[in-house]
Amino acid sequence: MIKTAQDMKSYKKQLKEALADKFLRSALDNFNTAYRENRPTVYEGVDFEGIKKEIAAGKDSALPHFIEMFEEFKAKAEAAGAKVHTAKDAREANQIIAAIAKDNRVKKIIKAKSMTAEEIFLNDHLEKKGFTVTETDLGEWIIQLRREGPSHMVMPAIHLSRYQVGDLFAEVTSEKQESENIDKLVKVARKQLRPAYLEADMGISGANFAIAESGALGLVTNEGNMRLVTTLPRVHVALVGYDKLIPDLKSMFRILKVLPRNATGQAITSYVTWIKGAVECASSPGSRKEMHIVFLDNGRLALARDPVFSESLRCIRCGACANVCPIYSKVGGHKYGHVYIGAIGLILTLFYHGRENDRAIVRNCINCQACKEVCPVDIDLPHLIKKTHRAVLDQEGRTPVKNFLLAKVMKNRKLFHFILRQSHLAQKPLAGKEPMIRHLPHFFEKEHGFRSLPVIAKTPFRDQWKQLRPQVVQPKYTIGFFAGCAIDFIYPEQARALLKLLKGHRVQVEFPMDQTCCGLPALMAAEEKTAKEVALQNIKAMQPRDYDYILTPCASCGSHLKHNYLKIFDRDPAAPANLEAFMDKIIDFSSFMANVLKISPEEFKGTGEKVAYHAPCHLCRGLQVVEEPRKLIEIAGYEYVQSKDEDVCCGFGGSYSVDFPEISAEILKKKLDNVQDSDARLLVTDCPGCVIQLRGGMDKRGTKIQVRHIAEILAEALK
Amino acid sequence: MQNPDLIRQMKEKAEAVQVTVSTIHTMEDAFQYTVDITKKQGGRTVVAAGLKTKEQGSLKNECESSGLRLLEFPLRPHANEIHTSLTIVDGGVAETGTLVLDSTSEDVRIATMLAETHVAVLPASKIKPDTTALENELNAVLKADVPSYTAFITGASRTADIERVLAIGVHGPQELHILIMEENKA
Repeated sequence: MIKTAQDMKSYKKQLKEALADKFLRSALDNFNTAYRENRPTVYEGVDFEGIKKEIAAGKDSALPHFIEMFEEFKAKAEAAGAKVHTAKDAREANQIIAAIAKDNRVKKIIKAKSMTAEEIFLNDHLEKKGFTVTETDLGEWIIQLRREGPSHMVMPAIHLSRYQVGDLFAEVTSEKQESENIDKLVKVARKQLRPAYLEADMGISGANFAIAESGALGLVTNEGNMRLVTTLPRVHVALVGYDKLIPDLKSMFRILKVLPRNATGQAITSYVTWIKGAVECASSPGSRKEMHIVFLDNGRLALARDPVFSESLRCIRCGACANVCPIYSKVGGHKYGHVYIGAIGLILTLFYHGRENDRAIVRNCINCQACKEVCPVDIDLPHLIKKTHRAVLDQEGRTPVKNFLLAKVMKNRKLFHFILRQSHLAQKPLAGKEPMIRHLPHFFEKEHGFRSLPVIAKTPFRDQWKQLRPQVVQPKYTIGFFAGCAIDFIYPEQARALLKLLKGHRVQVEFPMDQTCCGLPALMAAEEKTAKEVALQNIKAMQPRDYDYILTPCASCGSHLKHNYLKIFDRDPAAPANLEAFMDKIIDFSSFMANVLKISPEEFKGTGEKVAYHAPCHLCRGLQVVEEPRKLIEIAGYEYVQSKDEDVCCGFGGSYSVDFPEISAEILKKKLDNVQDSDARLLVTDCPGCVIQLRGGMDKRGTKIQVRHIAEILAEALK
Repeated sequence: MQNPDLIRQMKEKAEAVQVTVSTIHTMEDAFQYTVDITKKQGGRTVVAAGLKTKEQGSLKNECESSGLRLLEFPLRPHANEIHTSLTIVDGGVAETGTLVLDSTSEDVRIATMLAETHVAVLPASKIKPDTTALENELNAVLKADVPSYTAFITGASRTADIERVLAIGVHGPQELHILIMEENKA
């Protein structure tokens, strides 16, 4: 039985249990790394970016036409002898399928894998009605025997070890099993399930595609069980969501180029099958299969009309959003979804299984963008997760204290900055003379102690600005400097490093005092209104026409200013006229230094010190800046040493690390282990947020590895 | 038309998914291959789909002289005893090493789904470079107002459901052999 936490307290408890499961952790961590490493090979010669845009456009243009496509499908399928049904919700679908079984005097049912059947808890219903149901997909059979839900959309039993499966099979067969040997375990399933196919009266499958122009179903599988399920029994029922409708065969082939690659790293699966109408079947009274296709709505038709969330209906269930998710790889699918798991699960759960099941899990996204990058249908998953979180809050009519305070404080820059200044005084007793807070007062729970915390600077950058402002005669560039709160109030030295680097390049820097928080923390807390208000304040403070560039050394601010501003003002008449001009001017530190100023090795003294690099999520994925920082490290005369998983999140995620400290700590642990495995003495990154997390973690470990913003090590290397 | 590049690609891609690929020139070669592989694996039975009456006769002789039984259609009563199935497939896709098989006939389905070993004869002239080249042909089948069951088969049945370890031969055939039939160079 699926037990999804319905409140934060029980969710935290579940997460703790999951984090303690050593097998799960190592299996999923290895999977995460292997999947990402294997990806370039799998996609060799395939234009992933191009195809995903095409598929997304195709899916989007089909959305308003589900009903027409359904009618077309139905006419063609029925002309070939199939019977087509529609179910408005899970209850109705279950009733229709049970009625088909009853009408055909069915006793035994076999099933091929179908997430849609999981969605409606079909097995439970059929068993209650007295039918015997046997899952035949190996992973599904295993979890059925264990009475569990799937923990992955493609590999439902990925949370189990061979020994757990061996013990289970020993019980089922009453014979001892050689658990070490996976091949033998697989053969146990082959042998045990063969009689079930032959005895079954009815087979149930899902479908990956319902092709409107031909009325054929398309199914993509590997094990061969679906072929048997749809061949041997006299009745076949296919359960299909409306979202599986596609106009034509060409669309299916297009998706087929990415679905197996994304799901299992295959160019194509062992079997791709097209089933149309009632094919011959010797065990059926009329020598024709009793063929039924049930189309499930369950919220899909309404979702298709939703201007924001309809995008989620593009999903082709490849499971990749879980494969690359740093959180999934720590806690597994049973704690990272309801029926549908992974990033898409955090979204769909609200629409298919209600807010009760989504309200805790939807908060567990660190916004690292890894899922968005691999999504083969271009769904902006992190963005939709925040939108879903907002929808949950709205439906519940609830404003968490955190959101209330955040909205109150953030909207008022002067109040916000006043509080930050006061924090410097408040933390004094904790930090003493140290640069960091190493011991939290005990009213914090001990989970928060995995990293030391930085102290708020005595003098924020904005108060130093008057003295620092450079006067440049005949400037080549005029830039607006967007510091971001972390640099302004915690690490003003990073901003000073930048100013030092710009000297001699004829860059006039301006620091408009009215700039405030970029708004990302508000968006992360699903406080969209607040995010909009601060966005307006920033655009007003930094008129794009006044600058050649708006430069920020904070990757998170940069990515938020450059991409999210457009999204948060989507279809909003309050969007400022110069919104796009503002966004176009945004540039990150590394791109500015490498591509605009084109700094050269002559400016630097080469120390040759070994430097490891952490690629901030919002730089490498958010802003898609990959080569530049690595180039800069070399230009400045350091030796860049590669470490494993450089582009995996550090676990910070702003308030994420406060909301989910146990998970943040685990993600950080792996990151620091990887850096320590390299022989670097310096760890460098492009985002003050990552610096907080990485430096705090390294400090706790007591290592000699220093964590710096890339601007700092560049400034130090100047001749 | 036989395009050596396509044949080479078909072979490479199929081998990459654990298929054994050989070249043959006559159906007699295919029969010999089928009987040999069955004997080698300790199988007792063979079933064939898509043969002409005369060919069926000669396969039967070949089997019987080797102590094997050639099973007759309908196959349902034999569902538990099929060792090797020999089929002549309708096409190949070189890009992925895929076989295309019209499986509308229930016996073809049973033969290719329940056998331990599937031996497929693929005429070299029917190898297409990619799915785009197959689209019209397949669409004609799918759009016709008659029932159909069409299969793309790429390698043997497989799973990675236990610890993501690849295991070949779950519910479908444990081995796939492709015999590319090249026309005799006259």
